[in-house]
Amino acid sequence: MEQLTSEMILVMAMIAIAVFLFIVEWVRVDVVAILMMVTLPLLHLVTPREAFIGMSSNAVISIIAVIIIGAGLDKTGLITRFVGPIVRIAGNSQSRVIIAISLTVAGISSFMQNIGAAALFLPAIQRISKKINIPISKLLMPIGFSAILGGTITLVGSSPLILLNDLLVPFGLEPFGLFSVAPIGLALVTSGITCFIFFGRFILPRGESKIDEKSAQLAEEDTMQIMKEAYELHTPDDFTDYRDPVTVGDLRRRYLVNVAVITEVPDFKVFSPGQDTQIRSDIDIGVFGAEKDVRRMAEDEGMIFKDHLETFKEIVEDSSSGIVQAVLAPRSAYMGKTLSQVNLQERYDITPFAIYRQGETYRAEIGDMILEMGDVIILYGTWRNLMVLQKERNFLFSTPEDVELMRPEKAMVAGFWLAVALIMVMVFKLQLSVCLMTGALGMIITRVLSIDEAYQSVDWRTIFLLAGLIPLGIATEKTGTAAWIAHSLLNVIGVVKPIMLLTVIGIISTIFTLVISNVGATVLLVPLVVNMAIAAHTDPRMAALVVGLATSNSFILPTHQVNALYMGPGRYRSVDFMKAGLVISLVFIVVMVGMIHLVYGV
Amino acid sequence: MMAIITISRRSYSKGKEVAEKVANRLGYDCISRDVLLDASKGFNIPEVKLIRAIHDAPSILGRFQHIKQVYIAYIRSALTQRVKADNIVYHGLAGHILLKGIPHVLKTRITINLEDRIAEEIKRKPIGKNEARSLLLKDDQERRKWTKSLYGKDPWDSTLYDLVIRIHKFSVDDAVNFICQAVGLKQFKTTDVSQHKMDDLAIACQVKAALVDEFYDVAVTSEYGNVIIYTKTDERPGHKFKQKVKSIENKIEGINNLEVHKGVPYPPEAI
Repeated sequence: MEQLTSEMILVMAMIAIAVFLFIVEWVRVDVVAILMMVTLPLLHLVTPREAFIGMSSNAVISIIAVIIIGAGLDKTGLITRFVGPIVRIAGNSQSRVIIAISLTVAGISSFMQNIGAAALFLPAIQRISKKINIPISKLLMPIGFSAILGGTITLVGSSPLILLNDLLVPFGLEPFGLFSVAPIGLALVTSGITCFIFFGRFILPRGESKIDEKSAQLAEEDTMQIMKEAYELHTPDDFTDYRDPVTVGDLRRRYLVNVAVITEVPDFKVFSPGQDTQIRSDIDIGVFGAEKDVRRMAEDEGMIFKDHLETFKEIVEDSSSGIVQAVLAPRSAYMGKTLSQVNLQERYDITPFAIYRQGETYRAEIGDMILEMGDVIILYGTWRNLMVLQKERNFLFSTPEDVELMRPEKAMVAGFWLAVALIMVMVFKLQLSVCLMTGALGMIITRVLSIDEAYQSVDWRTIFLLAGLIPLGIATEKTGTAAWIAHSLLNVIGVVKPIMLLTVIGIISTIFTLVISNVGATVLLVPLVVNMAIAAHTDPRMAALVVGLATSNSFILPTHQVNALYMGPGRYRSVDFMKAGLVISLVFIVVMVGMIHLVYGV
Repeated sequence: MMAIITISRRSYSKGKEVAEKVANRLGYDCISRDVLLDASKGFNIPEVKLIRAIHDAPSILGRFQHIKQVYIAYIRSALTQRVKADNIVYHGLAGHILLKGIPHVLKTRITINLEDRIAEEIKRKPIGKNEARSLLLKDDQERRKWTKSLYGKDPWDSTLYDLVIRIHKFSVDDAVNFICQAVGLKQFKTTDVSQHKMDDLAIACQVKAALVDEFYDVAVTSEYGNVIIYTKTDERPGHKFKQKVKSIENKIEGINNLEVHKGVPYPPEAI
């Protein structure tokens, strides 16, 4: 075995730092990647050229192209068109809904970022859940898992697989084709869905913790209901005499009552009045809130509580305004901001009533809360204003109004360019990045989306995470650290059968992906397992493939983006993911190794 | 006429005498040490520890700082519980700080020049003039350091008070007159809104006191009984915390709605 050099120790220290930072999250993961990108050449572990080679890598360009193509499909509403027919096919049975939507979502996420596919269907799933009266927690998790599993069907389905061919280059191994993984991926999707159909009742929430889940859900339904209760009050003539002015914001903070409309004589209505609006004498106010709070307010502030809705009635009944549940979309511009910063009130005349997050409802001082992906926010406004907000795509609405098709006439064109890109990958032996970029460029030239929209759609976090970690992989390989660790590990494990080795690699990859993100796990593990496989006389390509696939095996913790998105709307707790995720993760490893054995005869 | 009067004083400043006379004239309750007794009984802490907590300046060690915060929370809870009933003269330590933000609190300070205090000290203790002087100065410094380190406020800063009266040319009775006259002004009258503020402060202090022992790094606000408990991001609210919060919701009166907000900067008015 090789001697342990100081360079190797340095590389291992860098890996340890990266892993540590990934876990503690003092800085965001992409910043960790950039830190690696900059530190490694400073320590002379890679050359400056190698440090930034990730930026021009096949993988990074492919990801950019995939994102742009996805944005194009999204913009034209091509995929939204599937939603209607799929929902009809799904019908009213829980199993059929799960099968139909899961398969579609898996199919879409096989060539689009899976978070995109998951987000597109979320409003539809919320509607179905209400319509056929199945708890949403029964539907979302299977579908979300299918979106993740769908990423293993093609080589462009998930970041680790896109990255895989680049990582094989230094070893001179033959790259994988677009559909090389398809049989395995399809088997994974099928087995995942099957698991939920047959064992759903055991592994989905509402099994053992029946009462808990039920009461939590009831409590939440209650709050939603409370938010929708409408009351009308009248202020007496002397309301403003001898007192400090009372504003809409005061009423909200003091009584958790939301003023929806103010009617002044003779016929002057203000919808969603601003928080600073003063409540004047002799006016009618229409409010949403719990009856006990509204009555308390009437008594404390000296307002007259009306037993029946009068002016407010028309407003509640005529459908010019309403309440919606909006889910914070992935990559929403509002993520990480507070509601006060977003300022829906000023910008759209829309009033946020409450935030629902991880089983808790927040009604007081929600303006200060920092928004997270998957937060459900209850909004009130006129439909026209709500529609404007919806178009911005920072929120996913679960209202009956279907997403407006933005550029429907371009849908076919977008579909055409996707087909062109895929055919190029299959027919010509060109690099993935070139084919996908052709598709992306085609969409831009045919004005499916503008070049600026294309730029905006690219998620720089993903790009830098990929590009920044690639030099760490190079350093691990170049300095011989990968080989050294591989040999040391094999010395400990001893001689094992190839299939055993692949299983172990699968388990290690699963653990790594849960802790340090799928891209991080792939970059670190591929050089390692290739070395291990060579030393153990197993096919190194298969070892790498196991890493590429098993890094999508991210179900036990809600760390995967799709799981994070569905956690809020599905009212899941971390425990729910552990239970269902553990089962699916085990099935994943068994099926993956089994299929590799069958297809590639390892 | 309804109001709360706080009288901040130095040792031998005749502040106690002023407080008692004011209370007597207005028919208010006069409290000071009672608050410590309440806190000591309510939270099972020996009174001597509480006295030390509000008297000695906190040490640099964070652990003692933490214990001090706990005791202060208890004292504050006891104080707000007492004074929310209104018509109170409080002449204990730091009333003006512990009751910050309540409109109908008249904050006064009684001072006296050092020579008079020294004379008073010599009268009571068998010590020399110089010794008495250094003792008094040390005591002053301790108290000053205490308020500074806990609240970032210098108790000698006259802008903290509505009224500062120096007993020298003014007699005790003059001081009583001034205070009674001031408290009659309409800006010190208890209104609905100011009483709500007082009640909210009492609720927030009670919630904080209930939590502070185990979770000292939380902040609490209350507005018309809508309580928000603020916690830091890295602290995941565990099962124990949730249970505690639940029990608080049931136990403490006047809570209308209780929420825990995580990872939000604490508002400045939070307890």
